[in-house]
Amino acid sequence: MKKLFILAALAILPVKAVIGADYTVDPGHTYVSFAISHLGFSTMRGKFNEQSGSLQFDPAAKRASVMIEIEAASIDTGHAKRDAHLQSPDFLNAAENPTITFKSTSATWNGDKPATVTGDLTLLGVSKPVTLTITSMKCGPNPFSKKETCGFDATGSIKRTDFGITYGAPAIGEVLDLQIEFEAVKN
Amino acid sequence: MEQLLSRPEIQSAVAPFVIALVAYLGLRKITATAWLWALLVAFLASAALINGLIVNPLTGTRKIILLITASFIPAALLHWVLRSENLQRRFTTIISQVALLWVFWAVLGRMDSAAMVLFLAGSISLVLVSEHSFVRIIDKPAQLHGAGFSLLLGVGLSATAAASALLGQIALALAAASGGALLGWVLSGSVSRPQTRQSIAVLPYLMASSLLGIAAVMFARLPWYALIPLTSIPFAVSLVPQKSSSRFVNALLASLPGLVIALGVAYYVWHTGSSGSGY
Repeated sequence: MKKLFILAALAILPVKAVIGADYTVDPGHTYVSFAISHLGFSTMRGKFNEQSGSLQFDPAAKRASVMIEIEAASIDTGHAKRDAHLQSPDFLNAAENPTITFKSTSATWNGDKPATVTGDLTLLGVSKPVTLTITSMKCGPNPFSKKETCGFDATGSIKRTDFGITYGAPAIGEVLDLQIEFEAVKN
Repeated sequence: MEQLLSRPEIQSAVAPFVIALVAYLGLRKITATAWLWALLVAFLASAALINGLIVNPLTGTRKIILLITASFIPAALLHWVLRSENLQRRFTTIISQVALLWVFWAVLGRMDSAAMVLFLAGSISLVLVSEHSFVRIIDKPAQLHGAGFSLLLGVGLSATAAASALLGQIALALAAASGGALLGWVLSGSVSRPQTRQSIAVLPYLMASSLLGIAAVMFARLPWYALIPLTSIPFAVSLVPQKSSSRFVNALLASLPGLVIALGVAYYVWHTGSSGSGY
């Protein structure tokens, strides 16, 4: 009966409390950018301007998980007409799939720092595992806000055709190199 | 061969045109609905080349492909069950509106109530006007295929110019198939069976033009007002008299007003739209 009561109490707790969202991603210091071959002539770069997310991070317990939500319609390649095309059903289909999400499932550690984070990237309703390599990481109090802050730089790559984005492939590169820099502030 | 079949002009123009022409010529003595079967075969082949017969994840565009394909079945067969023209028209109206809701439900759910009401009012009106205009010409093959060809050409070119090659290709594929069926009608000399008024047969043209047009507005950047002149194409075509004894002249006359409107709208969208200058 006691166990049942505890289970019932756990069930009604807010999900956030159970998961323990330690940090909130700071959109002002978060950059999700990508690079892709443009017909083999050059590398085209772009980024997303709107994203949010949360981070649970406890190096002592080797615990790290991250969830990032990216607004597909915020894609920005510095060319309005191209951005409109990238939002269309030929690419991101942003009207139907307004968010791109990355939810980590596991991490590897190099000492007290995470080395890689593997998670599910959901794009156009298709989820595929993606591994991001952490190239830089720092945690500590922000000298201005005094709030505990963690920052990460990560890289990875995806094959866009795996997610059903086949337009122009393979002339327009199939492999998309990702670069993610983000800061998260302790709640 | 694979490289050839991956070219958009083959997928959405040459293949559907040739398949529809051959299928129409082959089937015209067997059934009065030869044009519907010819369009279905051509569209299916084209959709397979463009989309690869993939349904997962079931996006709005894939729903549209499924609906256009499925619409040929009641269009060709259901007149046996729904004998009165009134019943056929009611069925066509209801099925088109249900299709509209199914395709755009996910996007509608994110709209505020004012935008949703506006969208529904606009879309339902567009379908009703299209249906009414198409039904006027259902028993006039030159006008029907001429209108279908020009309307879908307009929707296809405008959708492409408004930044969705995928939606554009689907519309252009059906436009090319209509062109093939129209040429088949011109070449076939005489009508094998008398054409009867089967209002339900407008369903594929209605479904394709309205769903693809609205999708180009919702999913790409086609200005909504571009749909007004495009929707008027079947009505404009119905005003052209079919008095010549030459099928070729009738087909040409039936296609011309629609072509002028379609190319005008496509040019406007290209000029002002999302992918005008290329990049």
